[in-house]
Amino acid sequence: MENVKIRSRVNGKDIESEVEPRKLLVHYIREDLGLTGTHVGCDTSNCGACTVLVDGKAVKSCTMLAVQANGREITTIEGLSRQGKLHPIQEAFLEKHGLQCGYCTSGMIMTSFWLLRKNRNPTEEEIRKNLSGNLCRCTGYQSIVDSITYASKLMKADETEKEGIMVEQ
Amino acid sequence: MSSYFTRAKDDLAYNERVFVEGRGHFVDDIIKPGALHMSIVRSPYARAKILSIKGGMSSKDLGARMASVGEGAMEGKNSVIQPVFATGYVNYVGEAVAAVFADDRYKSEDLLDSVEVEYEPVKPVVSIEDALSSPPIHQGLKSNIISEGWRGKEFPDPASPIVLEDVFMNRRIATNPIEPRGIVADYDGKVLSVWISTQSVHSIKEGLCEALGLGPDAVRVMQADTGGAFGSKGGLYPEYVIASFAAMKYRRPVKWIETRMEHLSSTSHGRGAKGIVKIFAERSGKITGLKGEVIVDAGAYGAGMGEFASRFIATMMTGPYMIENAHVKSTSVLTNKVTLGPYRGAGRPEASFFIERMVDKLADELKVDPVDLRILNSSESKFRSPLGMEIDAAKPFLDQAVKELDYRRKAKSTHNIGFSFFVLVPAFAPGETARVKVDGGKVSVWLGGNSHGQAHEVFVRKLVNEELGVPENLITLYRGDTGMLKDGVGSWGSRSAMVGGAAVISACRKMKEEVITKFGKYSVQSLLSGAFDVYVNEEQKGSLNSFGANLATVDIGKLGSVKVRECAAYYDVGRALNMDMVIGQIQGGMAQGIGQTLHEEMAFNEDGQLLTASISDAGVPLAEDIPNFEVKVAQNPSRLPHGAKGLGESPTIGVPTALARAIEKASGKRIRETPIRPEHIL
Ligand code: FES
Ligand code: FES
Repeated sequence: MENVKIRSRVNGKDIESEVEPRKLLVHYIREDLGLTGTHVGCDTSNCGACTVLVDGKAVKSCTMLAVQANGREITTIEGLSRQGKLHPIQEAFLEKHGLQCGYCTSGMIMTSFWLLRKNRNPTEEEIRKNLSGNLCRCTGYQSIVDSITYASKLMKADETEKEGIMVEQ
Repeated sequence: MSSYFTRAKDDLAYNERVFVEGRGHFVDDIIKPGALHMSIVRSPYARAKILSIKGGMSSKDLGARMASVGEGAMEGKNSVIQPVFATGYVNYVGEAVAAVFADDRYKSEDLLDSVEVEYEPVKPVVSIEDALSSPPIHQGLKSNIISEGWRGKEFPDPASPIVLEDVFMNRRIATNPIEPRGIVADYDGKVLSVWISTQSVHSIKEGLCEALGLGPDAVRVMQADTGGAFGSKGGLYPEYVIASFAAMKYRRPVKWIETRMEHLSSTSHGRGAKGIVKIFAERSGKITGLKGEVIVDAGAYGAGMGEFASRFIATMMTGPYMIENAHVKSTSVLTNKVTLGPYRGAGRPEASFFIERMVDKLADELKVDPVDLRILNSSESKFRSPLGMEIDAAKPFLDQAVKELDYRRKAKSTHNIGFSFFVLVPAFAPGETARVKVDGGKVSVWLGGNSHGQAHEVFVRKLVNEELGVPENLITLYRGDTGMLKDGVGSWGSRSAMVGGAAVISACRKMKEEVITKFGKYSVQSLLSGAFDVYVNEEQKGSLNSFGANLATVDIGKLGSVKVRECAAYYDVGRALNMDMVIGQIQGGMAQGIGQTLHEEMAFNEDGQLLTASISDAGVPLAEDIPNFEVKVAQNPSRLPHGAKGLGESPTIGVPTALARAIEKASGKRIRETPIRPEHIL
């Protein structure tokens, strides 16, 4: 089948590619773009290891074709830190040991990003519910829940700081 | 292949930070120019005669047999060793029949259809009962029994008034690390280089050398970041031999990455054990004897855990208790299923399930508190069990556990409570290897067993710092690499911090002596100014114990759904080398314990077809299924120089038994198997 041209914005860069129409977004991200932080853990869209943001929303990139990303904005785990500075969610996962083997981690962080965007102050129960599409076999989830709770605090602190700066200016 | 982003791929150190940035080096992340992607044609039948194979690479191209390496490896005389490619017959759904290769994964998957295999299906042997009553699944055998023996000595039935008997089952489950298995193999005409997701580069190397007839200098195995394993990535699999063979044949790098479906059908399952137990007891509650039988569903081939597991389980059937007479038969049988392998605990949880269920049953019979019964049957001093386990004084720990878990108060306020007690006997022998090298002011370390999520780097940095005084930021643990460390064992059986740690200490002490010989006295400056390179094989004999106890409370919904209200642990971890890592290991293992008890099973129908064919059908628990755990530890140091004990498997031993009891109390139904389904409790 003939390759199709797609244009998308990936981690802030405009990218044009030619892809096979049947290629999954996750394989395009990993193999064509070399962004291997997004993982594959299943073939039934259960595990969430492949989670990325498409137009700001958490999406399992194994459930989308690369061609469907045409004209869309994609953020992967590699696009989360800015100039070497970790995003507060990344910091929180390190601080609270929200990972062991690290394989589910990118997906967990991307899902958390989306969750914390919708709900700044999630309760433990809300966090656990929102993780229903992300499997972790190592941690027993408790440290992941702790990491997300902690991230929400870090993000609030960040905002207060920023607001403070704005007021001063 | 175009790449808009470039990343350094040469960093082989373990490093937690890379994972939160998506910069890990998992095996599927290794992209080699010109690589072939491999896909495997697998058997759709549990048992069939292969009439013909057209296309692909198959047993006519590669007639090799597997090698038994890794955890539970054995070279039993009667064992049936798996061929790399199915030969003559297929014996489980998912068995490798042929392989195809193409430039990318889509094309190699397309090629699967180009291979034509003609089968003549044969009625499969699916259950343990079938195996015992059916003719052997392989020609040339007398029966489906591949190992059989007894532990302990025969004894006349004691004249005790209470005799109880029951039958238990832990059904098969899949290990399901979130990263499936995978390999990249490359051959330069002299050396076969292999990158792999594994618990032991040394087992893989040994296995490839044996299966392919290669000398030790012709193979180098390197560990990629390993996304969980839980027992399933310690040994050799057919795909590793095929990919290596193909890399040598085609002189191109070959990559194979397992799909989840392949993982479920073709990676070793764990558990799969049946226990028949009879206990004799006095009215006081004192258990006077135990007789029993363990039968393990070994799957289609032998020479591994399946063959070994029944004997191992039988050895542990008296648990931590002081039972003077015991005699247990062990049997492993062949069935038309994927071979059995280790899964976190690897025989320990099964043995514990059988004895703990009986102790609870005895408590009900005598109408006494099950914890009092456990105390009564625990020893004040160390002893050797009649089945051959060395057990430390159990009662002092148990007394403490009852307090730490607040059992007495909780048992008064809730009826639906379970309490378990166990002894973990980790894989202590034969020890482990380590290499410590100082060069350019930095310390590099390699260990015989490798991390797949346990953060070996944390205890290595700590121990090297304690022994040599070098600041932790100058110490790096590298991933497993047979090119850098000539031999080693592996990470399984709760052993790494214990025996790997002891090896690191021994290497550091040797190095210290070398520094003293060279400089007259030791100082960090003299060490770091020099160049040193020390290898040790720190052998360990005998065994070590870790005791543990769990407490669980539950609620049962109208439809038989179980809500775990509370799940607590009190484990003796020896000296904790890093408390955060200890707690993380325990929490993760406890979730797996809940998984086995409530959700997880690899179920087959009578045709030997897998009914649980997705990771969610397989029952891997979700965040919502798991409560917050309450974890407490005792730190009674072991006899090792750093005081560490085995830990990783404690939670998968202790949680199912406590939880099963809580459910039994809540439902009023005797619990005899895992997973516990609503139909068992309604
Ligand atoms: S790989 Fe996408 S959900 Fe598992
Ligand atoms: S950290 Fe291993 S799967 Fe989550």
